[in-house]
Amino acid sequence: MTTYRVSADIGGTFTDIVVESSDAPAVIGKVATTPANPAEGVVNGIAGLVPDAKDIEFFVHGTTVGLNAFLERKGERVLLIATAGAGDAYTIARGNRQTLYELHYSKPKQLVPRRDVHEVRGRLLWDGTEAEPLNAEDFAPIVEKIRAENIRAVAVCFLHAFAYPRHELQARDIIAAALPDVSVSLSHEIAREWREYERASSAVMNAYVAPVVQRYLENLETELRGRSMPATVHIMQSSGGVTTAERARQTPVYSLLSGPVGGTIAGTAISRISDRGNLLCVDMGGTSFDLSLVIDSKANTTLETELEGLPLLMSIVDIQTIGTGGGSIAWLENGAVRVGPHSAGSQPGPACYGRGGTEPTVTDANLYLGRLGARSLLAGAMELDEKAAATAIEALAERAGMDPIPFAEGILAISNAAMADAMRTITVSQGVDPREFALVAFGGAGPMAAVFLAEELDIREVLIPPFPGTLSAWGMLQTDLRQDLTSSFFQPVATADLPGIVSRYEELEEDGRRALREQGVADDRMSMQRTADMRYVGQEYTINVAVVADDDIDTMVENFHAAHERRYGHCNTAAPVEFVNLRVAAFGHLDKYDGSAMAPGTAGEPAGSERKAVFAGERHDTRVVVREQLPVGFAADGPLIVEEQSATTVVPPGWHLRVDELACLIVTHSEPEA
Amino acid sequence: MKVDQITTEIIRNAFVSIAQDMNATLIRSAFTPVIYEGKDCSVALIDADGEVLGQSLGLPLFLGNLEICVKLIAEEHGWDYFKEGDVFYMNDSYMTGTHLNDATVIMPIFWRGERIGFAASRAHWLDVGAKDPGTPVDSFEIYQEGVRWGPTRMHDGGVPRDDVIDLLRRNSRFGESTVGDFNAQVAAAKTGEQRLKALYDRFGAETVDAAKEAIFEQTEANERAAVAALPDGEYEAEGFLDNDGLGSDPLPVKLRIAVAGDSMTIDLEGSAPQARGPVNCGFTQTVAAARVAYKLLICSGVSPNGGSFRPLTVKSPPKTIFSAEEPAACGWYFSSLGLLIDLVIRALAPAMPNETAGAHYGDSMVITLAGHDPRFDDQYYLMIEPTTGGWGGFAGGDGESSLINNVNGSFKDLPIEIFESKYPLRILSYGIREDSAGPGRHRGGNGTYREYLVEADSSLFLWFERSVTTAWGVCGGEAGAGPNVIVEHVDGRREEYLKIADVAVKRGTVIRSLTGGGGGYGEPLERDPAAVREDVIDGYVSTAAAEEQYGVHITADLEIDAAQTAAARAAKT
Repeated sequence: MTTYRVSADIGGTFTDIVVESSDAPAVIGKVATTPANPAEGVVNGIAGLVPDAKDIEFFVHGTTVGLNAFLERKGERVLLIATAGAGDAYTIARGNRQTLYELHYSKPKQLVPRRDVHEVRGRLLWDGTEAEPLNAEDFAPIVEKIRAENIRAVAVCFLHAFAYPRHELQARDIIAAALPDVSVSLSHEIAREWREYERASSAVMNAYVAPVVQRYLENLETELRGRSMPATVHIMQSSGGVTTAERARQTPVYSLLSGPVGGTIAGTAISRISDRGNLLCVDMGGTSFDLSLVIDSKANTTLETELEGLPLLMSIVDIQTIGTGGGSIAWLENGAVRVGPHSAGSQPGPACYGRGGTEPTVTDANLYLGRLGARSLLAGAMELDEKAAATAIEALAERAGMDPIPFAEGILAISNAAMADAMRTITVSQGVDPREFALVAFGGAGPMAAVFLAEELDIREVLIPPFPGTLSAWGMLQTDLRQDLTSSFFQPVATADLPGIVSRYEELEEDGRRALREQGVADDRMSMQRTADMRYVGQEYTINVAVVADDDIDTMVENFHAAHERRYGHCNTAAPVEFVNLRVAAFGHLDKYDGSAMAPGTAGEPAGSERKAVFAGERHDTRVVVREQLPVGFAADGPLIVEEQSATTVVPPGWHLRVDELACLIVTHSEPEA
Repeated sequence: MKVDQITTEIIRNAFVSIAQDMNATLIRSAFTPVIYEGKDCSVALIDADGEVLGQSLGLPLFLGNLEICVKLIAEEHGWDYFKEGDVFYMNDSYMTGTHLNDATVIMPIFWRGERIGFAASRAHWLDVGAKDPGTPVDSFEIYQEGVRWGPTRMHDGGVPRDDVIDLLRRNSRFGESTVGDFNAQVAAAKTGEQRLKALYDRFGAETVDAAKEAIFEQTEANERAAVAALPDGEYEAEGFLDNDGLGSDPLPVKLRIAVAGDSMTIDLEGSAPQARGPVNCGFTQTVAAARVAYKLLICSGVSPNGGSFRPLTVKSPPKTIFSAEEPAACGWYFSSLGLLIDLVIRALAPAMPNETAGAHYGDSMVITLAGHDPRFDDQYYLMIEPTTGGWGGFAGGDGESSLINNVNGSFKDLPIEIFESKYPLRILSYGIREDSAGPGRHRGGNGTYREYLVEADSSLFLWFERSVTTAWGVCGGEAGAGPNVIVEHVDGRREEYLKIADVAVKRGTVIRSLTGGGGGYGEPLERDPAAVREDVIDGYVSTAAAEEQYGVHITADLEIDAAQTAAARAAKT
């Protein structure tokens, strides 16, 4: 019997579907998102690809529901309860400025206004000593307010709760007794780390999106079950692992970025399958450009991030956004040509979208130069207005006193160089050299710019995976269940004892096993990954160091020094080191299908057409082929254009294309091909 | 030679990007948190003649004077003094302008045997061997503030001079981290060198040079257009530093700004003569501070280059707090410069009502506690923290509350949980200081309070400023409250301090620090009563202050009493 593994990346506009089958190549679908009831879009998308939904044995999805609720500030009103004397730490938000040359600076707007931050007495000290018991009476007016103003979500953040949570647990009991229907987020359960502002911010974010995400997940599960899809609903988490919907309802903040991380996770899978350890993953759409790194086949992750300036403490795939894309607008300033940072977005969009845009964009330049075809987008479903693009480009070129062809190429050259510069700065700050990476490009606009970016960065090899427009959805099928557990553990290494550390790890692992069992994972399908957050005494920030079961403390310290050297370029083996947190990532391995991970192309010589495209000021008769028709082993020299439903890959002269056995397009410099 | 606009733009972006890569390298490899977390550093890529090609927008006070250091070396020794592979270190306050803790590192860049430019950086080092750890608050000669270095070759033709580097190490309480930070600056310079050479490889010297000239001309043209848009005239402002830290009378800071056509001159004549206490700075840094103020108003947010600041001239008579000479003490130079920046913005308020703002609370408000921590075998502890305060209101909105001051970098306050874990201190309360903001149509932001319970016998040092000239309002707005520090000693004494050195505080002492609010913008009576009500609900303004400052009566159930409000406002006008 044929079975299926299905993923859905539910975006604001489109829902991308990938279906892997136990005995056939994977197929993709793209349908309109149905915002009122997202399940409908998913069901529509699956219907044409899977004969009977009962045969789906695994279903995972990514959603922007929580993220959008945050971005549009349409989450739940939250009330924050804090330790007496420390409530303003949340509003002060550490008092720093994120831009330095601004006389009119305002801090990022918090989700909870000061009027909804309330303090209660009760104080634990740094070592857990109770200076003052939790004052239950202080809750009475707060409970009264919650009831009177019909507040549905509460976050609690008490000082030192990351290490000593008992007052927070008592607070939950007090609130639950009085208000059983109010959702309560405790800071230590969301982020078990010190720094009260960042922890409060994380708890508030969880409380803010919780009701929205919970409603969404319940609805999706019911709807899918009602349409005879029995498989458990899984959701992608920001950490790059998946979890069940049931579990995600408890801590929805962990799946806030579930959509975008799929692309990076796809990168890790490509890295493993194709045996290329280091990848720069570039996801370029109409308005933004996301960069993430895969190092030694692992997604580069961080333990702290910010959303619109608000901090979140959690394990998350590190994705850096650079504000440029196909919609970036070219303009003139005192005779100089600039591109971006303003974008035409999707409304009105580039001039060639014919929605009233008149300023030339990067996409218009690509069309004008023939690199993009008027009927390339969405396999011809959306026809581009070549005349509008030409009018926009030629008008600005005339004002700049330039011929339009070099001007259009100039727009692309400026935009590519700026993107490459930003990519280089990000890699430099991570301590890695882009020349040691292969570039993986996806998203609608990524494959068009990829080779030019590689040229700028001295990268020799570019990969365009199959389905570049729906790669995030594909990535979701390549990962495993994941549960992150943290225990704060403040101890100088000099006085730490190994049995104490080991038993703490074992406790965390037992918690992890329990959580995975609840998600239906058998014990022999589990694996545990131990890490420790360590630092030099006196530093605030930590480095997360991998720990293996038989490591002794000396080995951990050595590994810390080495990690510090890698990250910061130096280490000090004489300086005292301390532990801050012990962490376990518990994985429940999912069965995947062999060989069907990527679809091979069809056999035989592909049909093709030809059009004029400009490279380095010259018009070339350029062969245009259809991606789906390219067989494994196909090879050709640039200039060449590869079109598929969701993207266009441009291979300029001097570069060489081949299709590898995984159906990836591999583009390399023509010469050094060994 | 003329270069097309496309190439020029690519090269312009590349210059800025090279500076950003240098900055990223420096932050990545620095040893001390004040650099890698506080971003107390700045870098510049400079051309062969000492003009800036690209600069990262790092710490504002370090803007626009690294190239002056390069020119000073060349003036003294000639341009041929720079050899390939050399690295120079300097911290002399009278050359670099800042205090001795700020380390300037300069490396010439050569391409095919020709000098094509310089990579330079400045970063704050924790300790450079002053009489007290860090920066002493009561110095009166520069010799008490650390070891003073003129431009010194640390690498000679590519070879590190180990003996000289060793001298650096031996003259700091944290020698290893000092050398570590120096090496981080060298690494940043090498990043700049590599990338500038790659740019020359790609485009050739002629193209880069021609593009550079075009870029400078564009920048100058943009800035001149912005200055020309201001009404011609003379603009003035005056304020006072509380004292020099050693008990002097208030010190005047006075400036006159002449705007004529597309040029602007800032003249500091009338400002205090060189002071005995550590509030002086070299003229180089004064120019940088004036450039920061200018940059906040003119083409702000755009990375500067050799065409920047051409419309601006800065003048000062010799031997003032802004043009100090040996042996003036310079440790807390930024208090004077912070005031200078605020005054430029105030002076230009009539010409730039939309860009200006009420003054901010003004200074870093540094509290230092040192002693031995009984919890950790009486280990020595040193806690140094600047404190946030209120910023000024402006045409588009209210000033921000509890925000770090202008001359600080990306400083973040210390979380209470870290305070209490690392130091023998308990934070009894920390918050936004109600009613400390200057009233206005757009009010200032409130200051901050913090209450420390000292849990081990310690020494207290304070540097709190701006009590004489508190944050003024502009365009009809009013001034914010000033700072104060109240110490309740265990023997029952209650003292108020602003600047002190080494006061003994016993276990059980409570220290309450208060910082000032920002100045308001526009007439307070023009503030929308609904906005006043929101402030009362959020606890930024009390009901009493709402009546007194704004003439807005708020009832017990937090509604506006329209009749009383109308009457009160009529009575006030």
